Amino acid sequence: MNQYVLLKTDLNRWVEMARKKYRVYAPERVQEDIFFAPLLGPPESEFLTGLAVLPYLPPKDLVFPQSEILFSYSREGEKIALTVPDQETEASVLLGIRSCDTVGISWMDKFFRENFNDTYYGRRRDNLITVTIACNRPIKNCFCVCCEGGPFLDPGKNSFDLQLIDMNDRYLVECNSDQGETLINLDPALFSAPPPDMEAMRNRLEEEARSMFLPEPTSYMGTAIRRITADSVPSEVWTELGERCFDDGGCTFVCPCCSCFGVGYLAHGSGGCHYRFWDSCDYSGFTREVSGHNPRGEKGERFKRRFFHKLSYQYVKKDGRIGCVGCGRCITACPGEVGMPTVVETIRRSDTGDSSKE
Amino acid sequence: MTNIYLPHLARIITIQDDTYDTKTFGLELVDAEARNTFRFRPGQFLEIAVLGVGEAPFGLASNPNHPEAFFVTIRAVGSVTDALHKLSPGDIVGVRGPFGNGFPFDEIKGKNVLFVAGGIGLPPLRSLIEPMLDARSEFGDVQILYGARSPADLVYKNRLKEWETMQDVRFMMTVDVGDSGWSGNVGVVTTIFPKADIIVDNTVAFVCGPPIMIRFAIMELLRLGFAPANIISTLERYMKCGVGKCGHCAIGHKYVCLDGPVFSYREMMKLPERVV
Ligand SMILES: Cc1cc2nc3c(=O)[nH]c(=O)nc-3n(C[C@H](O)[C@H](O)[C@H](O)COP(=O)(O)OP(=O)(O)OC[C@H]3O[C@@H](n4cnc5c(N)ncnc54)[C@H](O)[C@@H]3O)c2cc1C
Ligand code: SF4
Ligand code: FES
Repeated sequence: MNQYVLLKTDLNRWVEMARKKYRVYAPERVQEDIFFAPLLGPPESEFLTGLAVLPYLPPKDLVFPQSEILFSYSREGEKIALTVPDQETEASVLLGIRSCDTVGISWMDKFFRENFNDTYYGRRRDNLITVTIACNRPIKNCFCVCCEGGPFLDPGKNSFDLQLIDMNDRYLVECNSDQGETLINLDPALFSAPPPDMEAMRNRLEEEARSMFLPEPTSYMGTAIRRITADSVPSEVWTELGERCFDDGGCTFVCPCCSCFGVGYLAHGSGGCHYRFWDSCDYSGFTREVSGHNPRGEKGERFKRRFFHKLSYQYVKKDGRIGCVGCGRCITACPGEVGMPTVVETIRRSDTGDSSKE
Repeated sequence: MTNIYLPHLARIITIQDDTYDTKTFGLELVDAEARNTFRFRPGQFLEIAVLGVGEAPFGLASNPNHPEAFFVTIRAVGSVTDALHKLSPGDIVGVRGPFGNGFPFDEIKGKNVLFVAGGIGLPPLRSLIEPMLDARSEFGDVQILYGARSPADLVYKNRLKEWETMQDVRFMMTVDVGDSGWSGNVGVVTTIFPKADIIVDNTVAFVCGPPIMIRFAIMELLRLGFAPANIISTLERYMKCGVGKCGHCAIGHKYVCLDGPVFSYREMMKLPERVV
């Protein structure tokens, strides 16, 4: 890992350089909400500080779009030709992504690229460089500390390209990949070597940030993981949670670690296409079988499934980590006000056995 | 790099009517290179697409020793299967796969084998029965018990006749409801268990068919003394991708498309949902 210092007054110049070579995405205010959008001018600086800002959607659609064509076909007499959409995607930079979302992308990297490599994901991912901004101050719904999702990325443990750490008038820039180095090299003169005391300051900032999280969900995550793994959560708990679910799929669409999709088919005249689109395990149609039988026809069963996938040790073993990075988006998205912390808290309350002392 | 979602084109070579709602499609990959390298194991499945209409999983039903001429047996039940039934020889479909774990073969050499098939559950088992008959001396007793709803629902009628006359295969069949031309057994497949002289010792049982039949057959086999690890069946789940990505077929942390579709009853019992 290499470290540099970038003065905030130089940021726009660097971004300008980047915009010449890359499509640069950064958080942008669109009416009430914030979204990642391609930059047409300088970035909005208020989204590039240590104060956590979370766009309504994670940037997962840059690597896993809401819908995309898998292939199209055309028929000419006897001949059928299959075409895969252009494999070239524009080289992009994602500026101002928070650590939780960066960890979310790492989760997807492992899931999509290992064990049958998804080249649609891969070609987009290979063309994406991330510039994370660490969170010195979390906001209300955040709980990344208990999910190893932040508030700072750890260069020894996390894979990332660049991380900016807000130090008032400057950023400490941590570079953890060759891709990151490429961005530094756009204008190396803007980046200076950090003074010797900067590392200590960085660590102090991280410590302070970690201490700002509400203790509530933090300490309970472990209990939920253990009980879900052991399948010892009473089914009434899932039913109760399921009753607050509107089947809208919102929590899955806003989740940086939700990756399920459906496949659709279109035919027009002599051609057509097969495409995929985000799907949700919240929907009762997700598992409905041809016979009409549905193994997860009850909302409670679907709820259980979703959180088994996110928290069970069985999946941790498979995916290398839990399927939640603590961004808190599902809390915001859910009309029934059930998010990850609610589930963790409800499981904890339902605990009557020994683990209540934990 | 292989594109896991892009099918190979395959030409329909033969179509055989098995029953009023079931047909067997002999297929050949159009691309010569793909055709020559195509291999599969018993119990694996293909994702077959009618372009622009849809794609669905189907168990390979043919002998893996002859991968150049593979076939699948398909019952018309919905949009994709109906569209497939409307095709003719010469028509083109998309084929991805083979996917899935498949049945054990080398692992069970030297053992006795019992097949319990219900209706359209026979095709996937056939991909195991045929190579076993090719290597007959490497297995102990081979017994096939097959049940269908009516005589009209029996698939592979010609092949069934051959199995009936084979010296080294013990074959029995039954139908739930007979008709005027039927003089054989009547009753669900488990009703022929008592007269079948089933060998339990050193036997692996393969069970395939509709969910209700699988449940009763497994209960009966357990009662006869089969260990759960020696009862092997397949799970059907709604599937979209076949390669562990779309999430549709997950049960607990297992994916039917990757970790299955073949599971022993012992493995099924460990899943967090009731599956049979
Ligand atoms: C691993 C695996 C292997 C398989 N192997 C085979 C095989 O070898 N041969 C084979 O024929 N099938 C096999 N199947 C099942 C096959 O995949 C489905 O039949 C197929 O997906 C149906 O697609 P469809 O588009 O035709 O039906 P859809 O249009 O998706 O659904 C049809 C609709 O019709 C109704 N319907 C359909 N079938 C029934 C029924 N049996 N009873 C009552 N209502 C019904 C339901 O309302 C259903 O929603 C296998 C499935 C799996 C997972
Ligand atoms: S489960 Fe909720 S809090 Fe966790 S990563 Fe997904 S949206 Fe964020
Ligand atoms: S069918 Fe898509 S994950 Fe199994």
